[in-house]
Amino acid sequence: MRTAYAEVIENGRLYGSTHLMWLRAPELARNAHPGQFMMLRCSDDEAYGDGIAHADDPLLPRPMSYHRVRAGAGGNEWSVLYDVVGRGTAWLSRRAPGDRVYAWGPLGNGYKVGRGSRNLLLVGGGIGIAPLVWLAEDAVAQGRNVTLVVGARSAEHVFPSSLLPREVEVVVTTDDGSAGRKGFATGPFAELLEWCDQAFACGPTPMFRAMADIARRAKVRRSVQALLEERMGCGTGICYGCAVKVRVRGGTAMKLVCKDGPRFDVRDVY
Amino acid sequence: MDALRGTGYDRGRMADAAPLDLAVEIAAGKRALTLANPVMVASGTFSYGVDQLKAFDVQRLGAVVSKTTTLRPRAGSPAGDRIDETPAGMLNSIGLQNIGMDKLVRDVAPAWARWKTPVIVSVLGSTVEEYGECAARLEGVAGVAGVELNISSPNAQQGGMEFGQDASTAAAVTAACRRATTLPVIVKLTPNVTDIASIARAAADAGADAVCAVNTLQAMAIDVRTRKPRITRVFAGLSGPAMKPVALRMVWQVSSAVSIPVIGCGGIMTGADAIEFLLAGATAVQVGTATFRNPTAPVDVLDGIVAYMRAEGVTDVRALIGAAKG
Repeated sequence: MRTAYAEVIENGRLYGSTHLMWLRAPELARNAHPGQFMMLRCSDDEAYGDGIAHADDPLLPRPMSYHRVRAGAGGNEWSVLYDVVGRGTAWLSRRAPGDRVYAWGPLGNGYKVGRGSRNLLLVGGGIGIAPLVWLAEDAVAQGRNVTLVVGARSAEHVFPSSLLPREVEVVVTTDDGSAGRKGFATGPFAELLEWCDQAFACGPTPMFRAMADIARRAKVRRSVQALLEERMGCGTGICYGCAVKVRVRGGTAMKLVCKDGPRFDVRDVY
Repeated sequence: MDALRGTGYDRGRMADAAPLDLAVEIAAGKRALTLANPVMVASGTFSYGVDQLKAFDVQRLGAVVSKTTTLRPRAGSPAGDRIDETPAGMLNSIGLQNIGMDKLVRDVAPAWARWKTPVIVSVLGSTVEEYGECAARLEGVAGVAGVELNISSPNAQQGGMEFGQDASTAAAVTAACRRATTLPVIVKLTPNVTDIASIARAAADAGADAVCAVNTLQAMAIDVRTRKPRITRVFAGLSGPAMKPVALRMVWQVSSAVSIPVIGCGGIMTGADAIEFLLAGATAVQVGTATFRNPTAPVDVLDGIVAYMRAEGVTDVRALIGAAKG
């Protein structure tokens, strides 16, 4: 983990209520891999006239997945994909190019793609698409077959397929049927589970619950890696705020999403 | 990180690098415990200091206070909605999730024994006797420099704040631990009382080497959309800058009431905040919630204290203790 002020390269609404922000702080992209996250401090903390930095609100940093990483003029740049849902993300949405955002990462255990896995099934519900785009890019670059199920409320909330590598097979579902198939992302997941060697998911709790049931009932056993989201205080394993109860041999154990996750087998949690 | 950020003294007058005396004594006499500097990390905000990602060298700290540990491991509060953010603060109801005393002594203390930074183990019991047992288990354990009695957590299902809200039970816990160990004993006080000075006096009279003021303020938040409390266990502890003026007032009161060292804690984010606590009568400070927001906060606070001393021409940090009282 490293800490740095990241410079905002670009920031704006990409689709629906979802924003995209590119930042530059190459040290925070070094050794990062898909499914890992960073913490972003979402408030002003520059010293004021008296030299004392006492802007402490909103207090807590926000966890954000690495959405994509790309080479830039001043080293690697990385992006976050976010919905404006509260004070922190509202602050983020007001950043302009040249502004600085204090961040630390890479954090947590990201997705683990098996060496021999040929067919990867990716399932993103809502903003859960964020970490899957980089995973998809990586996987197709390695010559793997990728099917990405993009689940959204309605057409305007669907991540644009034009921003994905052409090699990725995209299946869109919307709750209201305004784009792609009507229904949840779990429908195509159930149909494609046998096709894949491994599945990777990120999305809301009900989606994970349904996926765990489908995976348990499936004729074939597949690894289904879920990237969990939980309120976090620190991202580094010291506040114990992001606990999750996980099945372990002989019972259950309290784990921390930030340190022991955020990747868990969906059947161990739901 | 940035040595001067947040100090208020980041311009000029930095050339004269006279040697500074930063050492403070948080326990005197037979159980003397001297810290190389007054900055400690608060219990519950640094885990055990060995298993997490650290953004700075732990050897720079005056002391580390471990996560509160109970005789047997605890799973803590249910998963989900353990923390929440409030204006310039946060609520937590972690519920004492910890590894238990056996694992602490067996697996963690050996790592501490290699540090030059002293480690103080925070303990909590469901009964007075259990506090004593915890203290006894730490006696003679290499790597353990002191015991902090958590009689102030608002989140323990049993123990914690219930012992710290009454002078006689606070005294009973302190005396039990005093008898059980030759280690320095620090009593961490709760702000959730009518008269904190009387609790501090009871602890001091029962043999505490120092008191720490204060733990979190009991608080809550409600989600107006779901019309339910935002924390699963309803009540939680408030920490962060929102707490600082309350904690500072209590440090002033406690340090006026007892003659043992007082450790200040509550919303310290910068070197300037720490200086305020020293001026109010604290001998040392604990940095807690700040580390969640800023992974290098403890050393930034230390650097801020140093920058202040240089700018103000203070060569001995002890000259600041209680100086605001005139």
